[in-house]
Amino acid sequence: MDDLFAPPAYAWQRLSPAYRSLRRLTTALVAPILFSIPALVLGLVFELWWVSLSLWAVAALIVGLRWSLIERTWRSWGYVEREDDLYITHGVVFRSLVAVPYGRMQLVEVASGPLERAFGLATVSLKTASPETNATIPGLPPEEAARLRDRLTELGEAHASGL
Amino acid sequence: MSTPAAPDPRLSGPGTDHPAPDVAEPAPPSDVPPDSPEAAPVVPGAPVVKQTERPHPLTPFIRGWLVLVAIAVTWSRELVPDGSGDGFDASDLAILVPLAGAVVLLAGVVGFLSWYFTRFVIDADELRLETGAVFKSSKRVSFERLQSVDIIQPFAARIFGLAELRIEVGAGDSTLRLRYLSRAKASQLREYLLARAQGRRSRPDDPDLALPASAFTDRSAADRALVTVSPQRLVLSFLASTEWLVTAGITLAVLIVTGVFDVTAYALPGLIPLVVGTVSVVGRRVFAMFNFTLSESPRGLRVTRGLTNLTSQSVPVDRIQGVRTAQPLLWRPFGWYRVDVDIVGYASSDGQNNESAATSVLLPVATRAEVDLALDRVLPGVRLDAVEMRPSPRRARWVAWFDFWTLRHGWDARVLVTEHGWLTRVQDVLPHAKTQSVRIEQGPLQRRLRLADVHCDTPRGPVNVVAQQLDVAVARELAMSQLDRAREARVADREALARAATIPDERFGEDEVLAQFGTSRDRLLGAGSESEVFALDEHRVLRLYRGRHEAPQQTAGQLQALYRHWSGVDIGLEVPLTLQTGELAGRTWAVDRRFSGRTLSGWLAEAGPAERRPALLSLLDAAVAVSRLPSPVPGWARLVGTDAPQAYGSLPELANAMLAGPVARSRPHLQADLPDVAAVWDRLQADLAARRVTPTLVHGDICPPNAFVSLGPAGPVVTGLGDFSPHTVHGDPVADLVGATAFLELEGYDGAAEDAAWLTDVAVQRYGASPVADGDLRRWLGVYRRFYGFYFSDSAGFDPGLYAWCLRQLRS
Repeated sequence: MDDLFAPPAYAWQRLSPAYRSLRRLTTALVAPILFSIPALVLGLVFELWWVSLSLWAVAALIVGLRWSLIERTWRSWGYVEREDDLYITHGVVFRSLVAVPYGRMQLVEVASGPLERAFGLATVSLKTASPETNATIPGLPPEEAARLRDRLTELGEAHASGL
Repeated sequence: MSTPAAPDPRLSGPGTDHPAPDVAEPAPPSDVPPDSPEAAPVVPGAPVVKQTERPHPLTPFIRGWLVLVAIAVTWSRELVPDGSGDGFDASDLAILVPLAGAVVLLAGVVGFLSWYFTRFVIDADELRLETGAVFKSSKRVSFERLQSVDIIQPFAARIFGLAELRIEVGAGDSTLRLRYLSRAKASQLREYLLARAQGRRSRPDDPDLALPASAFTDRSAADRALVTVSPQRLVLSFLASTEWLVTAGITLAVLIVTGVFDVTAYALPGLIPLVVGTVSVVGRRVFAMFNFTLSESPRGLRVTRGLTNLTSQSVPVDRIQGVRTAQPLLWRPFGWYRVDVDIVGYASSDGQNNESAATSVLLPVATRAEVDLALDRVLPGVRLDAVEMRPSPRRARWVAWFDFWTLRHGWDARVLVTEHGWLTRVQDVLPHAKTQSVRIEQGPLQRRLRLADVHCDTPRGPVNVVAQQLDVAVARELAMSQLDRAREARVADREALARAATIPDERFGEDEVLAQFGTSRDRLLGAGSESEVFALDEHRVLRLYRGRHEAPQQTAGQLQALYRHWSGVDIGLEVPLTLQTGELAGRTWAVDRRFSGRTLSGWLAEAGPAERRPALLSLLDAAVAVSRLPSPVPGWARLVGTDAPQAYGSLPELANAMLAGPVARSRPHLQADLPDVAAVWDRLQADLAARRVTPTLVHGDICPPNAFVSLGPAGPVVTGLGDFSPHTVHGDPVADLVGATAFLELEGYDGAAEDAAWLTDVAVQRYGASPVADGDLRRWLGVYRRFYGFYFSDSAGFDPGLYAWCLRQLRS
């Protein structure tokens, strides 16, 4: 990671390793299932098994590509709480760093779907008055997510200023 | 349908202090009109039942009419031959007319019910809107959250002189709509709501708010037009706009191509939507912007526009989140620009402004001079042409080959500016305080070229502040420094807001106290930083200590004792006498003896140069006379204040005790404005340590506003000295000589500085040989000028003139 996306004078907080496992599971399941439906229909109904095979090949390629990026994607995520703002960075191919001043936060949300819960994970997202602020941290342990939510809400109130 | 009869407490919503309206008034509305006084019986001790209002009774008819128009429009579209061959005949009409009639009737009934169950309260405490026959909703909005208030008049409502009041509440909330009110009522309520949104106390029936508005322009009498867009310019600019040229060009091309191949009839179905689209662009750009006027009213900027539907919109300047100036290619020869602003709630992206809704357009087409005029109101004090713009590096051409030479960014103390575009030149301006978040984004190609984009996010709207294709180091620096600038700007804004918020508190309980004493604001005699003085009768005045005063009761008590101590002493000068003190409605008051004559400050402003100097000589006499007043405490001491009377061992100890508070508050200002402040301070300390003098009573703030002048046998002379305060000490008499001479420089009349210099010379001549002079009076006058320079240096926030005076003393 180069200087462009580093936080000033702080070390990044990383995501839970369980997030990696979750991503591996979804990567291994989503593309094969999505591609298998048309592949099976084409094969069983129309007897076009060669099309099905090529579809499965594409699925395997996608899984392989995504699988190879999982480790780097997971490692690319980072966040850090500074005195006045929260920094979040992510992305391997398209990279981004977002800094949200606490005084601008309007809402802090913690969400956890069934799959995330099974892995003991939760997602924290921050909302400002701008829809372009894309500040979401996935893959946090629930206690860290709750701590972050409470901390950010508290800081948001302390720094609050009008629009 | 059934009327909801049972009172359901859940429906009233939290915070409402009265039951649902249909329960509050069991009688049918024909017996008790909703706004009759009987609707709100005042029973002592009972909770006050608020009077609610309904919109204008013509509302259902207008809404029915709008439905009729909508049907007619859809229907007429069906009548257009679409080439499919099925003709239109009279038998269709026999079905359609009753059908349309039924729909209109139904719309009328729905409109009536919706009107009947719509009630609103706009009064001194709250803004509340209750709607819904079956599903009731009650919305209560705090005045601070109001973003803007607009008046909209659809054509039908305009015929009846009615208007819709549209209230934007802020992010994530829907707009409150009051349909329909009489024009005068709508206009009055808007003025009231805008006054409250700006944090001013006001009442809905305030006569100031009832500004008459003309039916055609919707400009109140107090509005002043800043920019008016003439119809010719509007139409011409529209014809030259990219938007129009593209739509019209495509339509024309299709017509020509199909004409050449003689297949126009078959292409007609495809052409119709194209034409409809073109017409709607014309509607948005020409009809909606017709008669566009940007005007300045006592409550901010205002936009009025529209040919058929009239819209009058307030532009809340402090809620503008960003400004965008755009210039299409063909507007360049004319020197025209279009200006849009981001306002929360006006969620229209890129000019998707329909005819009647609120719009983000500040100026649809304007010359550079007009743009500058408008920007001056929107971003006062910002000089965009002075912002140093930095271009993106040349290697950006590999990514942004179509506009890399136009990419620029820059900033100054107030705003961040970005520019891009060649077909349409766009400049986006973001005030630092409005930055929501900052992002650095980098794609794979940019990464190889070591480029990155910096986005400064703003609420939904046309403004999009992106510094594109910067060198990575520049991008990083811009993002980090922008966060700092945004934080500083937010802090400054918050402080300004806090200062503004203390002003209404100052007045807290004042009306009550004034009423108790039978006086009023009209009889205000004078106001200082500690208190305000109101006339009671010929012999007495009411002194009302300010709400922010630290310990007003203690101060008032100490002064009363001090004045009593002096009551038997005649120094040839009137001094104050407190007759009574007390507290009422949280405010400390004192009744003082009234001085004869008027304040010297007011007299000096009107007096001729020949009269002034004799009177000023008597001010010098008064300053010396004060030193003959007895002190209740011997030795160096402060006489009034939180720990007073407090004795000190030496003059430097007393002086430093007096200076400690002000200097602690002003230290950052002084260090910024006066690099060698430490040296000035050390010099003052050395001077004070070398001073040999016997302590006498010192008023501490002898200045023309605190002196009273009456007509004596030889002309006007100073006959009284008021406003003893925590500045009053048992200290160095030279301090009052400086007060009588140097403080003249703060008076606003012509020649004040010359008078001050002259009076200083007189003082040196007269008292140069007295023991007070300690050998060199001029030196000690200079020392105490610097003393006061420090003592009043915490005035930067509330009195810049005084602060500038302080700096002059400390620099000399």
